[in-house]
Amino acid sequence: MKELGPDYIYQIEGHGSLDIKFNECQARLNILEGERLFEGMLIDRPYKDGPFITSRICGVCPTVHYLTAVCAIENAFKIKVTPETEYLRKVLLAGQIMQSHTLHLFFLSLPDYLGLDSALEISKKNPAVFQIALSLKKFSDGLVEKIGGRAVHPITPQISGFDKVPTKSDLNSILSEAEVSIDKAKDTVKLFAKLDYPDLNHNIEYLASGNKKEYQIYNTSKIISSKNNSFKATDYDKYITEVIKDYSTAKFSTKDKKGFMTGALARLNINQKYLNPKTKQLIKELNIKFPSNNPFYNNLAQAVEILHFTESIIILLNKLLSADLEKAKVFDYEIREGYGVGTCEAPRGTLYHAYQVGKNGLISKCDIITPTSQNLTSIEEAANLLLENTKKHDQKKRQQLLEMLIRAYDPCITCSVH
Amino acid sequence: MQKVKIAIFDLTDCEGCELQIINLKEKLLTVLDNAEIINWRLIKQKNDPGPIDIALVEGSAMTKEEIDLLKTLRKKTKYLIGLGACACIGGIPSIVGDKKERKKLFSLIYGKNYKPKAWESKPINTYVPVDFYIHGCPVHFPELERVITLFLFGRFPEKLGYPVCMECKFRENSCVLIKNKPCLGPVTQAGCKAICVTNGKYCYGCQGPVKDANMKAIKTRLKQFLSDSEVKNYLNLFLKATKEYKKVSK
Repeated sequence: MKELGPDYIYQIEGHGSLDIKFNECQARLNILEGERLFEGMLIDRPYKDGPFITSRICGVCPTVHYLTAVCAIENAFKIKVTPETEYLRKVLLAGQIMQSHTLHLFFLSLPDYLGLDSALEISKKNPAVFQIALSLKKFSDGLVEKIGGRAVHPITPQISGFDKVPTKSDLNSILSEAEVSIDKAKDTVKLFAKLDYPDLNHNIEYLASGNKKEYQIYNTSKIISSKNNSFKATDYDKYITEVIKDYSTAKFSTKDKKGFMTGALARLNINQKYLNPKTKQLIKELNIKFPSNNPFYNNLAQAVEILHFTESIIILLNKLLSADLEKAKVFDYEIREGYGVGTCEAPRGTLYHAYQVGKNGLISKCDIITPTSQNLTSIEEAANLLLENTKKHDQKKRQQLLEMLIRAYDPCITCSVH
Repeated sequence: MQKVKIAIFDLTDCEGCELQIINLKEKLLTVLDNAEIINWRLIKQKNDPGPIDIALVEGSAMTKEEIDLLKTLRKKTKYLIGLGACACIGGIPSIVGDKKERKKLFSLIYGKNYKPKAWESKPINTYVPVDFYIHGCPVHFPELERVITLFLFGRFPEKLGYPVCMECKFRENSCVLIKNKPCLGPVTQAGCKAICVTNGKYCYGCQGPVKDANMKAIKTRLKQFLSDSEVKNYLNLFLKATKEYKKVSK
């Protein structure tokens, strides 16, 4: 039966299609999303529009776009926020990563491994698994809603702090849900550790935020490379090159002319030492081994991160519950001419926002590099390698494996085009 | 009884409104007791091309393929519903205006030799007749639930004919416009339960202009404490492609 519209890859965020030359072992990922021109849209607009507008780049990870833009502008204005604001933002970011990973693992990836059509079918055929998904989704959506004002496109965050802060009773209720979620998160790791991942050894460079102290995700200043040439986050544009392709509305990033990977797998490969204790304990018990060069393991890495970030949320909330939340509110600051880079870890990897703001408070230049546009080159390289390794299989099986590989990367095409 | 056939489509968008449907969680499963989702690329592998009873369409038709899809969809669908600000009023992407402005920005962002794929964001009713609009950036749960429930019961929903201010009063928020803070509540279609004012911000008009919106009056009021360019940037955040905005933009 003819599909409606072009032959898009299903179960990924946004519109892309695959051209595969099976004999030549070459795959091309066509990115077909329309260009919305966010970086141009912001020119001559007030700096506060930066976070508000760029959060609309993506409905799956709006909170991290919002906060990365906020960090960039604060860095341009040389604003230092209070520890209370920083903790609240970290809770929001952890919640955002959980929202996105839960959606991706249970709604987009798991049907592949269970041989089912969709998560809606999982709800009928495997209700226990669906309950885990629902409960983690409820917890993470509820968290972002209570602190950010809304599960999609947050409202309360602002330059210098929050326009509205949650009450202690809100935080207490998030905390008790987080404690319940630990078990669900453990079940998720166990479930994804059991899946039969296709083999693929793709030896590439991995990049993730890091400070050699913690599993860093917020306002980071250094990018660690698995190949030992780390760089300052503010120098991102000197190391990451964006290449324009005639078959894609998204730019493909390269580093040293080659593809690289960012995201959950990269973070675990680089920062696994800094995982929270329960997470460390469980991956040891289950004999889960990182670093790994298998991009399919990105799914497992996301499951591990769900547990890690649930633990992080509990630790941060306990700090916040003994703090004065009024201190997380916005304060007066000076608008000054300047350039600022914001860097945070989004669910799919490192996100860079850079703004030049004039004395009048208007944005004169904006540059955004999203995790998916960084990953696009390596997705194609991994796809070609997979085709090489699967020559024995029939075409249908190879096509299916390719689509699974693309979903394992969890590309967010809407982000990549912006 | 045969189940109602629902299809969910996304054009150029952020997918936030579709996510709000997933975020209905158990309520979505309740919907599925009475309806069948026959096409939803985001979460399903097997998609049926129709005929469709209710099609929810998110995003703006910004490419030729999307306009073609929209037209095909219209032919196969009984009720076509706009989902969210981009589909209903053009939304955030409509900030980038006409061809000339787009051309300049394409060259800045993609370089001179780039062949653009998309053009400006206009409401989907520019291309096909639309039966109902669920507004918002993103769509809000109360209105989403109200409209879907009524359609499932075979009733055609009524448009909420009052502004956001009404819902804001019900939530006992104090008026921000009185405090000389910019707010589009008086001219904006209700349905969001004044979620932004309740959370410490103002109304940005994402629900689109309410019936008989007095745009001239809100512009005059905003000019009492904002500069001309601030007023312009505030009003065109979501509304640039609407006829109500065009009337006061000259």
